[in-house]
Amino acid sequence: MRSRRPVVASLAVLGYVVMIVPLVFIVITAFTSGSTLRFPPEGWSLRWFSEALAYKPFMTSLVSSLQLAVLSAVFALLLGVPVALAIHRGRLPGRSLLEGLFLSPLIVPELVVGLALYQQFMIGLDLDNLSTLLIGHTVLMFPYAVRVTGASLALMDPAVEDAARGLGASPLRTFFTVTLPLLRPGLFSAGLLSFITSFNNVPLSLLLQSRDFRTLPVTMLDYVQQNYTPIVASTSVLILAGTVVIAIIAERTVGFAKIFGGINA
Amino acid sequence: MSASTTQTGTPAAQFRAVTQKFGDFTAVDAIDLDIPDGKLTTLLGPSGCGKTTSLRMLAGYLTPTSGTITIRGRDSTRIPPEKRNLGMVFQSYALFPHMSVADNVAYGLKLRKVESAERTRRVTEALEMVGLGHLAGSRPKQLSGGQQQRVAVARAIAIRPDLLLLDEPLSNLDARLRLQMRSEIRRIQSETGLSVVLVTHDQDEALEMSDQMVLMKDGRIQQQGAPHEVFAAPANHFVAEFLGYENFIPDGHGAELTVRPEHLVVTTEAPQTDTTGALSLAATVLDVAYRGVDVLITVEAATPGGETVRLLSDTRAAGAPDLRAGDRVSVQAPEAHLVRLPLKS
Repeated sequence: MRSRRPVVASLAVLGYVVMIVPLVFIVITAFTSGSTLRFPPEGWSLRWFSEALAYKPFMTSLVSSLQLAVLSAVFALLLGVPVALAIHRGRLPGRSLLEGLFLSPLIVPELVVGLALYQQFMIGLDLDNLSTLLIGHTVLMFPYAVRVTGASLALMDPAVEDAARGLGASPLRTFFTVTLPLLRPGLFSAGLLSFITSFNNVPLSLLLQSRDFRTLPVTMLDYVQQNYTPIVASTSVLILAGTVVIAIIAERTVGFAKIFGGINA
Repeated sequence: MSASTTQTGTPAAQFRAVTQKFGDFTAVDAIDLDIPDGKLTTLLGPSGCGKTTSLRMLAGYLTPTSGTITIRGRDSTRIPPEKRNLGMVFQSYALFPHMSVADNVAYGLKLRKVESAERTRRVTEALEMVGLGHLAGSRPKQLSGGQQQRVAVARAIAIRPDLLLLDEPLSNLDARLRLQMRSEIRRIQSETGLSVVLVTHDQDEALEMSDQMVLMKDGRIQQQGAPHEVFAAPANHFVAEFLGYENFIPDGHGAELTVRPEHLVVTTEAPQTDTTGALSLAATVLDVAYRGVDVLITVEAATPGGETVRLLSDTRAAGAPDLRAGDRVSVQAPEAHLVRLPLKS
């Protein structure tokens, strides 16, 4: 970064420091050989990594978290893409009102959403907690899906779709051969964003948990309240590593500029 | 309206009482229009005149509020674009960015189930027609604006459309390329024999390219005909002004005369009294602008009805009288260059 604006540059550096330094502490303590979360570590070992991998509640809930994040991201896209299409391509009256309505889950506190789902679905309809969590997370992800794919749609020249129609493609064919391929970076970023948001979610998952189905952040939170071993640090490092791998794959396949370029529109 | 002498045979397309309303706004107001077969027709007019709306209705992207559009004898008013077999070239080119140039051109052929060998042949043919045979494997992003425009034309003609529609195809190109593309599009039109409809706001483009030009304003057709007919005999004030007639002189009898600046002569002689149809008015020089090849002289002249009008003369610099602001002069124009118009409503 060769910025000629020193104030902006130093703020950026400060931002990175604030974000990264705490992570550095976590990463370092994860490699401790001692049995408490303490900095500096008493010695070095990988023991807490094998402990983390062997600790069943964490691994079970990791699988649960991944399941939930993938499924809710997919559902959010399946619902969000048609809505984004209707808003941006359809001739709907009150377009902006509609868009505002679809973004509203962002404003309602998650605890309120969680409580409502708990009362209406789990108690009222006697749904199991995986289904209820899935509904809850999908509702939470939905605004991201609408917004991000909507931004890509807004950036797309509608004449490109007109051109396909003019050349003989039905609306459905146009969607699959032109709109969808051009939307791919937008879908990818919306999916990634949804996945990460779901994976990190605590309030909703906390309210809707059960003994059989509990997400990793909730399990870790639970654990930290009773124990203070470096196993949470090593688990965090594993998650961090996983995230970095996803980020690298995303960068290699689509490119960050393209993925997140869709958001700022 | 001057009779159109260019139309022969069955028209490629017809508009009958076609109206397009957007809410309270009437974009196209009950127009009747014949698009002649095998000719290049331009729809010309300022922005908001309804020319692009008319083209989009012809292409099927808009359904007329009322009226009928017939393409090749078939009522097509409500037929969706994909069932019309028209080649459309968009102002923004609208190439498929995720496909190669060849795949862009092949897109319409694949949908028509043209088999592979024939498809390749026709893609090559279309790309060679626009001089881009060597770029078949490129991506649209790698091409210049002019090249993208040519790909768009190749993609549209590859399907052998019933009509080729061009929406302001040259407005995104730089001035030199624009001139080159004008003759290029003319060449493609005459080589393929396609019926072409071109939308433009540039009167020079329309005059140079058209077999038939259609001037529009406020959703209505103002005049149509061969360029030389329209140019020599504008039907009303708007058409005259749009085509560069800058001098409008009320004749005192409810009509007005117009003459192009290059046909208005400024002399130091006294105005003639017996003009028998020619124009001759006393005037005062307001401004003289020397421009190298020619001189622009602005004068203030008294009309037969006793009004004062500002007139512009565009004279060749060589042999122009040496004038200054305030000089008393006369302006003259022969009858052959005067056009009588109904008074502007």
